[in-house]
Amino acid sequence: MIRKPLLAAGVAGLLALTAACGSGDGGGKESGETALTYLVFETPSLDAKFWDDSITAATTQTPGVKINKIVAPSTDRDGYAKQLQQSGQFPDLLQSITPSNFVGAGLLKPYDKTWIDANFLLPSANSLKGEVYIPPTNSQIVPQVYYNKKLFTDAGITTAPKNWQEFLDACAKLKAKGINPIELGGADPFAASMPLVGIISADILGKNKNWLQDRYADKVKFADADMVTAVNKYRTLVTSGYFDKGALGVKYADSITRFTTGKSAMYPMGSWFLGSVPKDTADNFGSFPWPTDSGDVVVPFVGGGSMAISAKAKDTALAEKFGQAWSLNPANLKALIETDGAFPMIKGKTLEDYNVTVTKVFEESYAYVGQDNNKVSAIGWATNDDALPAGLNDAFYAAAQALFTKDDVAGELKKLDEAWKTAAQ
Amino acid sequence: MEDRRTVRKRNSGERGLALLAALALGLYLVFLVLPLLLSLRSSFTNENPLKAQNDFIGLANYTEMAGDDQLRASLTFTLILAFGVTIAANALGVGFALLLNRTSLSYRVMRTVAFLPQVLSGVIVAFVWQTILTQNGLLNTALVNLRILDEPYPWLGSPHAALFSIGLVVTWVMSGFTTVVYLAALQSIPLELHDMASLDGVRGTQRFRKITWPMLAPGTTISVTISLITVLKLYDIITVLTGGGPANSTQSTALYIVKLAFTSDRVGYASAVAMLLLGISALVALTVTGALRRREVSL
Amino acid sequence: MTTISRDTRDRPTAGGRSTLTPPPHTRPRRRLSTRLRVAVAAAVTLVFVAPIYLMLVNAFKPQEKILANPLAPPWPPTLDNLTKALTRPDNLIPLGLRNSLIVAVISVALIVPLGSAFSFYISRKSGKTKAVILLVLSAGLMIPPQVILLPTIRILTWVGLDHSYPGLILANLGGGYLSFAVFVYVGFMRSVPDEIIQAARLDGAGGLRIWWQIVMPLVRPATATVVIFLTLWIWNDFLNPLFILGPLQGQTITTGLYLTIGQYSVDYGQLFGIMFLAGVLPVIGYLTVQKQFVAGLTSGSAK
Repeated sequence: MIRKPLLAAGVAGLLALTAACGSGDGGGKESGETALTYLVFETPSLDAKFWDDSITAATTQTPGVKINKIVAPSTDRDGYAKQLQQSGQFPDLLQSITPSNFVGAGLLKPYDKTWIDANFLLPSANSLKGEVYIPPTNSQIVPQVYYNKKLFTDAGITTAPKNWQEFLDACAKLKAKGINPIELGGADPFAASMPLVGIISADILGKNKNWLQDRYADKVKFADADMVTAVNKYRTLVTSGYFDKGALGVKYADSITRFTTGKSAMYPMGSWFLGSVPKDTADNFGSFPWPTDSGDVVVPFVGGGSMAISAKAKDTALAEKFGQAWSLNPANLKALIETDGAFPMIKGKTLEDYNVTVTKVFEESYAYVGQDNNKVSAIGWATNDDALPAGLNDAFYAAAQALFTKDDVAGELKKLDEAWKTAAQ
Repeated sequence: MEDRRTVRKRNSGERGLALLAALALGLYLVFLVLPLLLSLRSSFTNENPLKAQNDFIGLANYTEMAGDDQLRASLTFTLILAFGVTIAANALGVGFALLLNRTSLSYRVMRTVAFLPQVLSGVIVAFVWQTILTQNGLLNTALVNLRILDEPYPWLGSPHAALFSIGLVVTWVMSGFTTVVYLAALQSIPLELHDMASLDGVRGTQRFRKITWPMLAPGTTISVTISLITVLKLYDIITVLTGGGPANSTQSTALYIVKLAFTSDRVGYASAVAMLLLGISALVALTVTGALRRREVSL
Repeated sequence: MTTISRDTRDRPTAGGRSTLTPPPHTRPRRRLSTRLRVAVAAAVTLVFVAPIYLMLVNAFKPQEKILANPLAPPWPPTLDNLTKALTRPDNLIPLGLRNSLIVAVISVALIVPLGSAFSFYISRKSGKTKAVILLVLSAGLMIPPQVILLPTIRILTWVGLDHSYPGLILANLGGGYLSFAVFVYVGFMRSVPDEIIQAARLDGAGGLRIWWQIVMPLVRPATATVVIFLTLWIWNDFLNPLFILGPLQGQTITTGLYLTIGQYSVDYGQLFGIMFLAGVLPVIGYLTVQKQFVAGLTSGSAK
């Protein structure tokens, strides 16, 4: 019977080992620090170093906090935040999420409004039913069209297109020259939707700023005739061959390099692309707003920002302090401006105050924020009351990908109405 | 006569064994049977943690499935993939096995190599194939450089091509497995059988049809069943290779369930779809295995 | 074995044609066909193994050379990709390998005694209970893990083991892996002669001792099969570590790869370097235990 105690000891030992490696990874409990989890996402410009540096900086300003960084597996941090929530580990702080996805279940805690009003140029840019869950530290235009000046010259195009017809003419000229007119990173659903975001924001929201509110009130539908006409413009671009035939196989990260290395002439993308413009050839790139039929300028605008706070955070007050420190840190803003093309929105500061070096195309694009023009919520990107109902973004992206390969505009839009019904139930 | 100490020792041994067995069964009940029952229960509710709702809604989820286009598309994709891969991987497996069924060193090396895809995790397999199949990938670069293609072909970028590409990758993985199974089956054919056949002048395709093929039947059963089940459960390769795209065209039912449960927060509906997938898996596995078993006997 | 009798039955038909037997192969022709066969087999194997070859050679080549000719041998080889992969600030490879090892080793070390003890216990029972229990267990082989994923996480939350290694290991113990172990063991234990067990009982050995000292050594091939396959499967598992373990406890090698390099492009050289390091351990393991590996599959498919 000598084997039995041995076996028992073995099993006990293994169990102890399991327990040990379970408890060993908690971390941050020493010296009275409170550990908070912080969900971030990485992009080619917002890399691990940016997050680590910014966390370190804000941590030194917030005594008693220890941050455990969680990186989302894709830029779809909303999806990942839900997945974490669903499996019981909703993070304490969540960078650039869409609050409307989470406030319904009471998962987020709003920021102190006096602090918001005191510090930001557009305090209500991200306001959702009167509360602000994400400090509006910066803003974005989603999308703008970026273009390669040399390729335009090669195709005999002298000025940037000002309306839809000029845009189509430019595409035709480029294609005739054997240049791929429009870059699309279609393998990543959000990137695949960019032209559609431009078309709907410009053509539909440009004419009716309250379209999304009207949609919530069931006064308008995706299947309405004006929307079908607008979305058919996307089909025109596809069927005319103005995108690479294999665009749905191009990853977002690859689409950036394809455009910056001259594989395509135009790139409709959120203004964060400005951070990826290569420094040495920056002057070769320009930008223009997504064109409308009439040539009126419509700016699909998003109040971007920093992080939301979980209502269930271990220490919500401390979490808010960390969020505030991070949001106002000029070094973070500098990095965001330079690498992520963020348009800063902090009160009392101009671009010079951040001591940044920006490209000419950045200044050109940023100008649209300050100008008095027709700013509308960028559909699918707004995080305020104009945000899509939870889950509809996925349906919208899927429709964008589907319309790349099939012609059934009305059918896809009808599906969106159905998805809206399910989502809003 | 047994002395009392022996009996006591033996009884404690019996109890110890029964305890271990009960522990195993208990773990299985808690981590497989119970989740299954919870999932079944949830399929009759509108459970949605983000809306803080969890009410009993009867069969509503099941009736909703009838009109769910995404579900229909995912089932079609899953079944095409499962049967396509099963047929291709088994055909390749038989072919490989016949080709490699020799004993010299070179064949043994080749056999070792043929199984390698099975050893690598699906994540690695998918990443490696992605570098090959993506728009700027190695395959397109090679084909364009060799002037076989004028422009890159969207191997992962169009619905049909993506289905084909995933099928190709999964077939590649499964063929390693089927080859080894068929090799084992081939080697279990008694040599005398072949000798008798040679004496009788049965060779070539006829010998394959009359002797080899029937003798492979038990191998076919196991290999087909496991191929089918593996593809029905498949998650990692699709997730990494296409993430279900483009336009959800490669979203298998398994992926759809995870998306519904973890991203769309429709836990109740996700559970109902899970029950459907479970039913289909059981049906496919039982009918196909049953048919193949009967075939073993009749051949 | 019905197949053999069928073939013998067929013989007269085949024998009837024996007059038409073609002349036997001559020596030179046979040698030629042998060589042709090796060539064909080698060509097919090469095509088949091309992706693995790509991973192997390109792990040792810089990006430009990969793009210029991915198939070229890595000469002169560079270790840059591997060094870069190993010195990443997030410690992806060393941490991932360590975590995968912990999960796989502990899970298998616990499933083997549990599975075999259960199989021994049940294989001595008879009748309906055994049949029913084995039927219930067979479900574990077939159930798609996605079906039970969310409830499993809930159960682990109830017992306070969510997002922990013990939780992941527990979920591994109770899931389909146990079913696999039980089926392999039950198959092998059927062939353990009853007399041996009876004799041991007469010697006063209890169930636990008979199982551990007599049965376990007899079913060593079954243990080898179970250990090899479960280690491989748990090592390669993706879904459970991704959802049950989650991001805070450190990643296993599979989820680590997915979470860190899935999102934006690293250059091919680096990617192949990382894949090479992540894949080399299971491959070495497979090559060392290859005989048992194939034996396990063979016995499995025979059962």
